[in-house]
Amino acid sequence: MLRHALHRIGLAIPVLFGVLLIGFLLMQVVPTDPATVRAGPQATAEIVAAIRTELGLDEPIWVQFGIYLGRLAQGDLGVSIINNVPVTQELGATIGPTLELMFASLLWSIPTGIFLGTIAAYWRGSLLDKLIMAISVAGVSVPVFFLGLVLIWFVGFQWQLLPFTGRGGPLWSMDGIRALILPAVTLGGVLVGPVARMTRTAVVDTLSADHVRTARAKGLAEHLVVLRHALRNALIPVVTLIGLQIGFLLGGAVVTETIFSWPGVGRLAVGAILSADFPMAQGTIIVLSAGFILINLAVDLLYAVLDPRVRQS
Amino acid sequence: MAQFWKRLALGGLAALGLAVTAQAQTQPRNQITIMREIDSDRYDPHRSTALAAGEVLTMLSDTLVSIDFDMRTIRPGLAERWDVSPDGLTYTFHLRTDVTFCDGKPFTAADMAFSLNRWIGRTTPRVTSPVAWRAGNVKDIRATGPHTLVYELNEPFGELLSQLTLFFGSAIDSATVERLGDNFGVQGFNGTGPYCWGSWTPRNEMVLTRHPNYRWGPPVLENRGPAHVERIVWRVIPEAAARVAALQAGQADLTNYIPEAFWDAIRRVPTVTISQQPNYFWDFFMGFKVDKPVVSDVAIRRAVHMAVNREGLVRAVWSGHAEVARNIINPRAADYDAESDAMVPAFDQAAARRTLDEAGWRMGADGVRVKDGQRATFLLYGINTLVNQRSGEIIQQALRQVGIEMRVQLFDATVAWGRLATQEFDAFFLSYPYVSATDALSLYWHSRNRPTPNRMNWANPQTDAWLEGARRAIDPAERAQLAANIQRQLAQEAPWLTLARSQMLVFSGPRVTGARAHGLYGIGIYKGLDLRVR
Amino acid sequence: MSATVTTAAPEAPRRPSPIRMLMRDTGGAISLFFVLLIIAAALLAPWLAPRDPFETDLMSIMQPPSAEYWFGTDGQGRDILARMLHGLRVTLAMGLASLIAGGVLGALIGFLAAFYRRVDGLLMRLMDILLSFPAILFGLALAAIFGPGLTSVIIALSIATVPLMARIVRSSALVVMGLDYIEAARAIGMSDARLITRHLAPNCLSAIFVFSTLRLGQVILLGSALSFLGLGAQAPMAELGAMAAQGRNFLFIAPHISVIPSLGIFVIVLAFNLLGDALRDALDPRLRI
Repeated sequence: MLRHALHRIGLAIPVLFGVLLIGFLLMQVVPTDPATVRAGPQATAEIVAAIRTELGLDEPIWVQFGIYLGRLAQGDLGVSIINNVPVTQELGATIGPTLELMFASLLWSIPTGIFLGTIAAYWRGSLLDKLIMAISVAGVSVPVFFLGLVLIWFVGFQWQLLPFTGRGGPLWSMDGIRALILPAVTLGGVLVGPVARMTRTAVVDTLSADHVRTARAKGLAEHLVVLRHALRNALIPVVTLIGLQIGFLLGGAVVTETIFSWPGVGRLAVGAILSADFPMAQGTIIVLSAGFILINLAVDLLYAVLDPRVRQS
Repeated sequence: MAQFWKRLALGGLAALGLAVTAQAQTQPRNQITIMREIDSDRYDPHRSTALAAGEVLTMLSDTLVSIDFDMRTIRPGLAERWDVSPDGLTYTFHLRTDVTFCDGKPFTAADMAFSLNRWIGRTTPRVTSPVAWRAGNVKDIRATGPHTLVYELNEPFGELLSQLTLFFGSAIDSATVERLGDNFGVQGFNGTGPYCWGSWTPRNEMVLTRHPNYRWGPPVLENRGPAHVERIVWRVIPEAAARVAALQAGQADLTNYIPEAFWDAIRRVPTVTISQQPNYFWDFFMGFKVDKPVVSDVAIRRAVHMAVNREGLVRAVWSGHAEVARNIINPRAADYDAESDAMVPAFDQAAARRTLDEAGWRMGADGVRVKDGQRATFLLYGINTLVNQRSGEIIQQALRQVGIEMRVQLFDATVAWGRLATQEFDAFFLSYPYVSATDALSLYWHSRNRPTPNRMNWANPQTDAWLEGARRAIDPAERAQLAANIQRQLAQEAPWLTLARSQMLVFSGPRVTGARAHGLYGIGIYKGLDLRVR
Repeated sequence: MSATVTTAAPEAPRRPSPIRMLMRDTGGAISLFFVLLIIAAALLAPWLAPRDPFETDLMSIMQPPSAEYWFGTDGQGRDILARMLHGLRVTLAMGLASLIAGGVLGALIGFLAAFYRRVDGLLMRLMDILLSFPAILFGLALAAIFGPGLTSVIIALSIATVPLMARIVRSSALVVMGLDYIEAARAIGMSDARLITRHLAPNCLSAIFVFSTLRLGQVILLGSALSFLGLGAQAPMAELGAMAAQGRNFLFIAPHISVIPSLGIFVIVLAFNLLGDALRDALDPRLRI
């Protein structure tokens, strides 16, 4: 167990390092000189030179990377070119809404997916199974923005049931929840399909396993066999596969946040890239990647806890 | 685990049901949400020129004088009254004595002098406002008493008072400027306006709170203060469709950022009130850098005028809700010259082809004309807005039909201004507000204003002489004649193509009254003192 | 997405031709038909399109679908059908370019890892690292570095495809490597290059083919999302995601401008996904991608 965990963490470290390196390189290739930007348009050449020295821009590149890592360790991701606001401050303000949106989407889409997948496995080969699998393929193929636009058009605009113009307030307020529904339905909508599909496969696989056969042989009703034995064991691979879906979810979140004016990291990232705000773009990319890696690591470790076979291998 | 899922599902369903059945829309009672499309990079009246900054700054601060809804009459503001010396060089402003800043500090003539001097770059650290020229050729601005301000000019400036109504002349507190340094207008503000700085999350929302002691609103408005509304939230909603729906659903109260395409539909919504400002001068245009290859040729510029169907353009891009433009100046603005209007080349693609042929631009194999080895191609820059995207694509296609290639590059608003200050491009899209012909012409056409805002690089001694004459002229007829000369010259030379004259409409939802379109510098709601929650 | 070969597939007895297998499956046949239709439409776009995709008819702005304009017109009075046909070329070219660039590199890495066991650990750790990033992040990072544009999108999607292809190829190559006849070929002194091109590669083809078909759908979905965000194809280029993005501004007045191109993307991706599933069933039922 410990060895597995160490191995996993050992793998995550170079990945994180890679993220930081990419972030650093991003700042190296951008066409703007950070010293000139920080000095402002009226600065003299001497002031720019002084700032260059202060920022360590005259040092060799590996020293600069060291300085950069040191600044990161202190939580300093630089300052936005556009409005001089520290990048960490903006990230701090946007990370909450993004997590809110992702969590809300997972909250409904995973149970729904598992439910549909189990039903499909239970009545495998039936028309219902085919229907659920068709929905699932459609779910994998549908562009997130299409789902979002259709929901905005009908639920938001035609029927005026729910807001779609950004975060309504804190999560515990009614406005907050109402505003969260449409984005969460949109984002979760693309997850139901893959989860249902994975669950179905996993349940069908376990149904042919020995202990399930034994349970069946003992005369247990089929629905109990499915629920008690097959589903429980099937959930283990499903957990990992859900971990892999986080990347998918992240991509969807960027689009969903943009469509629904949701003040999250994804929208911040797109805005920063479009306005060539390099420090901000770098900060958002680092945070999104690091978050993704950590979630994957957590899922990996959780998987090991759930499934003793992984620990041994 | 099954138990857990069950409970989770039940809880989720309950929350969903509650949320859906809850009464639509609950905004805090005495709060008004105003929607807009973009945010400003900062809120410093002497460093920002963006409309997005201006619309908030008129609420955060005040100017010496104000302008009425007719866009001509000057009314008191922070100054109760003023005297002008007979030679037109010295203005003495008598300020109100009851004005305080948001932090409670009394407002004095010294504060006003500091603000105006900061605008024209005479304070340390030096701030260079791109629009310092709007303050005239200043000799000295000083406080001669606690509430007396003397504004001395080197040469007469007939438009001074109307320029001083713009938000660039806003009063700000020097102590706050010193304390916040570069972050003034980013992390905080201290002004004399009807509302005070609450909080700002860039590209998301700006929250303003009522200035409780405010009693000095300009007589232009019904309510002199304090404001009826406790909180104003300026919310950035980039998507036009989302703004329309939010207005209809009551999630927000007010906006003037509704694309013209929606106007017909929204007029049919009974809960939405519309206020129109007929005296509104905000033109969209395409300018040429007259010293760049290809577009330096008058034949090309005139051919562009003839190739573009501006009537069709207005119908498509503005859904017909803008005036089709020809001349550079709006016919309702002071000193407009009707004769020059007729001199602007009209839409006629055959004539465009003929003009190009006569000028020696021969059709090339790839459908683009060539002259002396030079292809008839040019690069256009602009801000990435829907109007520019659509106009760009339509004009691009129109020019292709006469054998001119136009390459379009649009930039996000935050980057665009920097790119538009360079010499990398040959033509550009912009739009701008103005008060009168003299105001519009001196902004763009004086050689001194190169490279910005005179991005055309227009440097003509004759134009400069006429402009300076018009600025100094005491006799209105003389000024009109000089302004007309310039308009005719520009109609002949065709250095820019006026695309459309937009209209100002303010849309408000059922909760709000008192939303009257003002339109100064494109600002929909001026100060927001009359706004009230029903 | 996870991509693994679960069980070793020994040299199977001669099965009926994959095409025949595919045609026997109704879903497979239909999806194959659609994919061929899409490819044909893209190839023949200049001849099929009823109008110039850039031609602006200012008298017919935002017209709903009609007999004259089958898919209606957009905000600039352009024919949406014509733009979609041309957009299909851009979308497919973008997908194929990134699939080929990323796929070739990935397959190479996969073969090397399977064949030269010494570099296997290192290469696969590298692939794991690449796999740790969702494709959208490559898209964001490249757009940040090179500026938004189709090139950035293609590079990003290629990079995201490399580790997936490498894994698929490695695991199916490993299966083949374990077979007796490879040992035999080695014993008679066949060169590495010959072994890879003659025996290894052909036996991995079905896995590569299935993966590519499924991946093409995903790549198109991702690429159009990036274009939708404004990070990909730029105006006035006709690209389905970019068309949907521009049409979004008129969603409540003329929904067809954004809905029809979005539906187009949906249909294309669905066709490739269904074909990929059917191919997998036909070529190798035990492949799970």
